Amino acid sequence: MTMVAEEPQGPPVELSVFSGPLDLLLHLIKQNEVSIYDIPIFSICDQFNAHLKAMQELDLDSAGDFLWMASWLLHLKSKMLLPQVDQGAEDPREELVERLLAYRRVKELASFLHDSDIVRRCLWVPEVAADVDAEREQELDWEDVDLRVLAQAYLDVMQKFAASHPPPIKVLPLRFRVEDKMKDIYELVRSDGLVPLLRHLNSRSDPVEVVTVMVAALELVRLRGVFAEQRSPFAEIYLRPGDRSLGAKELLIRGENGG
Amino acid sequence: MDKDTLTAVVEAILLTASGPVTVPAVMEAIDDRKVGEDEVAAIFEAIGENLERPDSGLRLEKVAGGWRCTTPPNLDPYLRSFHGIAARQRLSQAALEVLAIVAHRQPVTLPEMNFIRGTNSASVVRTLLDRGLLRMAGRKKVVGKPFLYRTSKDFLVHFGLERAEDLPDPEEMLKDETATVE
Repeated sequence: MTMVAEEPQGPPVELSVFSGPLDLLLHLIKQNEVSIYDIPIFSICDQFNAHLKAMQELDLDSAGDFLWMASWLLHLKSKMLLPQVDQGAEDPREELVERLLAYRRVKELASFLHDSDIVRRCLWVPEVAADVDAEREQELDWEDVDLRVLAQAYLDVMQKFAASHPPPIKVLPLRFRVEDKMKDIYELVRSDGLVPLLRHLNSRSDPVEVVTVMVAALELVRLRGVFAEQRSPFAEIYLRPGDRSLGAKELLIRGENGG
Repeated sequence: MDKDTLTAVVEAILLTASGPVTVPAVMEAIDDRKVGEDEVAAIFEAIGENLERPDSGLRLEKVAGGWRCTTPPNLDPYLRSFHGIAARQRLSQAALEVLAIVAHRQPVTLPEMNFIRGTNSASVVRTLLDRGLLRMAGRKKVVGKPFLYRTSKDFLVHFGLERAEDLPDPEEMLKDETATVE
């Protein structure tokens, strides 16, 4: 195993410049000029931890990944300390090496994409008027279809369906019947002689009941069972007995047809 | 249709198309049985070669299985100044790594990307989906049924590739690197 005598000089690099713990590890390996296949775990582990400690603010999202790597390195360090009983046993570092190699390939390809991106973002293409696209039926290559496009299409269809199929209007059972109210008001007018209609309406909290009472009063007026009087605009409306007496039959019949 | 008209038609299509133009698409547009695919392909090549000169501000390139009209990269500063556009946003290192993983191993799941990168890539993947460089392509039939991701056509166009397989082999690139060092 190669040993690194001295800690590298200079302040540790900010962790945020590394895209992950593997990136930092590759950086340390390169900086120490050691082989990826023979990583000096003791020294690398210490340097890795030094970088972690130097972090003033640990971004919680990525901190976990770095801490996990630190614990793995410690684990490897402890394994390396144990005497090797079996000569044919696997090198404990093997998995780490494989992860690093896989990541290095990705980094290599990413740097190729980076260079390509630098040049290719400088290319411009003809700006085609959007109305040309709007005129023709949108056709998608199956290559362009991804699950999100499908999900969006599904949502669009469901939205159209919902728009053309509005929820049914709920018809609540009638709690107040015009004929009942007619009977009530008629009897009230007969017994009291004079009934203030607006005060009567205002004392009802349920708008449905207010409407029912109003319709019932109008119906009674139409049948001349009661008369309505108002002295001036917006003044109280008084109901008093009309010039016809309504039989229970008439009230009931009206009620059954009307309401 | 004679060759001059065909060339003119192809040029006009290239100028007005919103994406890469394929040979079959041109064949369908001209609807002339006497014109063969080879002929149309040769026209594209000829137009491309003809534009490949310093006094031309137009270029033709073959991407994503088709041809598209574009500009030489060195003219970018003038075009940005003309259109009043600041430098376009670069892709982050994390985004490039995710793209590299997907391009190289597609279809691939998020947990696989996380494992290779050694860090969480969820937000990067979401950004790349929004930018249209990645697309979802089904679910993997394993526990949790994670989504599978592939690179999109826009990815090929942006990086000037005909197919995702045209990306260099990272092993080869590393070999080249060590060869130059030694």
